[in-house]
Amino acid sequence: MTDDTTITTTSDLPIAAYHDSTTLDELGVDEDRGFPPPGTYPFTRGFREEGYRTGFWDWEMYAGFGSAENANERYRFLLENGATGGVSVALDLPTQIGLDSDHPLAQDEVGLAGVALDSFSDIERLFSGVDLGQAGHVFSTANAIGPIMYAWVLHYCHTHDVDPATFRLQIQNDPIKEYIARGTQFLPVQAAVRLATDVMAYSHEHTPTWLPVSVSGSHMKQAGASPAEEAAFTLANATAYMEQLEAKGVKLADFNPTLEIHFCTDMDFFEEVAKYRAVRRAWSEIGRERFGVPDERLPFRLHAATSGLPLTAQQPLNNIARITLQALAQVLGGCEATRTASYDEALAIPREEAAVVSLRINQIIAHETGIAKTTDPLGGSYYVEALTKRIHQVIQDELERIGELGGALAAVEAGYFQERLARRAYEDQRALDTGERIVVGVNAYVQEETVSHPRFAVDPAWEAEQLSHLRAHREGRNEAELRSALAGVRDACASTDNVVPSVLAAVAAGATIGEICHAWREVFGEFEQQWAQV
Amino acid sequence: MAKPGLDGHERGAKVVARGLRDAGMEVIYTGIRQTPESIAAAALQEDLDAICLSILSGAHLSICRRLADAMAEMGIEDIPVVVGGIIPEDDTEELRRLGVRAIFGPGSNLDDIVAAVQEIVGGADA
Repeated sequence: MTDDTTITTTSDLPIAAYHDSTTLDELGVDEDRGFPPPGTYPFTRGFREEGYRTGFWDWEMYAGFGSAENANERYRFLLENGATGGVSVALDLPTQIGLDSDHPLAQDEVGLAGVALDSFSDIERLFSGVDLGQAGHVFSTANAIGPIMYAWVLHYCHTHDVDPATFRLQIQNDPIKEYIARGTQFLPVQAAVRLATDVMAYSHEHTPTWLPVSVSGSHMKQAGASPAEEAAFTLANATAYMEQLEAKGVKLADFNPTLEIHFCTDMDFFEEVAKYRAVRRAWSEIGRERFGVPDERLPFRLHAATSGLPLTAQQPLNNIARITLQALAQVLGGCEATRTASYDEALAIPREEAAVVSLRINQIIAHETGIAKTTDPLGGSYYVEALTKRIHQVIQDELERIGELGGALAAVEAGYFQERLARRAYEDQRALDTGERIVVGVNAYVQEETVSHPRFAVDPAWEAEQLSHLRAHREGRNEAELRSALAGVRDACASTDNVVPSVLAAVAAGATIGEICHAWREVFGEFEQQWAQV
Repeated sequence: MAKPGLDGHERGAKVVARGLRDAGMEVIYTGIRQTPESIAAAALQEDLDAICLSILSGAHLSICRRLADAMAEMGIEDIPVVVGGIIPEDDTEELRRLGVRAIFGPGSNLDDIVAAVQEIVGGADA
């Protein structure tokens, strides 16, 4: 079958009018030997032979806004409605950037894009009445502040008599992609990576069942990467973390069972399915060949979130169809955990009703469609296998190119990823403007919006409430203990010691997030953004 | 082109900046995490014809209020301001009252944005 190069996937991979065994021959895929069964190396078809028969994917719902009490209320609501992904903590921007809620830059942003967390007292209110053992899982997008979120939750276990082994803390703790795409970085990149890998090493030793890193392609995808680039860049970053971890004496072979890779699922249905299959294969090969991990230790957790990017503010109910298709693709791709966006997310953070619809989408796919009854149902499809092979090839080529640039960190510093993302984002916008790419309700089938859709309302009282919590917290501290603990943080940063014990001590002494991050900045300096002529 | 506030999602800002450049305009991008005051200072220092803001955080009203104050203080309130991002319909009137000349929400066409900025800048010169 000759490829028609004018019709391509989102990643610019050629699509033939139809696919058959000649397509696979041309790509060098041997049908008889190319598809080892699920549960065997290189795990293209899944990590477990039984797939979802022995348990569905986790249904995580990302949530958080306002003060700790507001977020706590939403968590309890979602858990009562059958969310199985535990408590997934969306953080507001000041928290993600390590600023206390009363910092001048935090003004007007407190509790807006997520929950505001300033100190350990907020964590106690955040988890109030939530049985962590029963929830099973706590996730947070803590990246630049990874060590602090880790210390908060571990200190909570210590002081509230919760055994860390009864639930799983998962922090994103992937700062590299912040410099590429997401923008919550505040330290120089080398320092941020050092802090992140300190958490991984500490967790490996002290909380071995937790997931101290979720290497994320999702944000790079949102910023412009194609699905194939998302896969390639993420594995490049994962490799960088694992190399640094090896230098700290922790081998991927020992660490691997608690490694997670996180992507987002876009609208090109079969390409997304193929992406998840290709990623399992490529990372398994890297694990075996580069890090010497025995095959039985290779499985990692594959986490997928539906993408917010294709969701439209126009005709928002259409987003239910988009979310369903994305959720379906990530399930057919065999992901272990999924997060599903809500149909009103192009307007504001989700209302309860919209969040429940998204949870129900997972439940309908799981219980009503029969998709979970067999593993990798699209395996062996000429098209899906061809795409899997092609994406695998892109990953290999990109990893080689990034290797030539000196690895992921060097590539970030050279602006390689950033330029790739910016270029594709621009081309994508152009395709939308010219109608080459159709988005229903945006540049086709446009409708005069007669209905004003309800949107989540932000309560201005949250900021004041959070500021009063912060003031009360500061008053209850022992100043001498606090000063000594913060000096300990600075000392640990300046040495090669693992920083986590010092952060734990600072949290216990009542240090706020702003104070701990200030100590980091004092030692490492600050990430600086420059004006640039475009 | 500036991104005020703490939100680091700069895809839209970069796309629009490129679009303006490709239409022949000279564009300076401040990068993320600017304050309204630093944006006003940049406008004064660089002698700009227009300020374009990209705001997704929901803090657009207070940001534009502070920017208007800072610009008035520096005597540059005649520099036109254009805002793009997730801006609820209900807030457009208040933004216009604060002197915002054009507002572009999600799904906007880049050519429309470029044409609007060209018209506004042309108007500013006249």
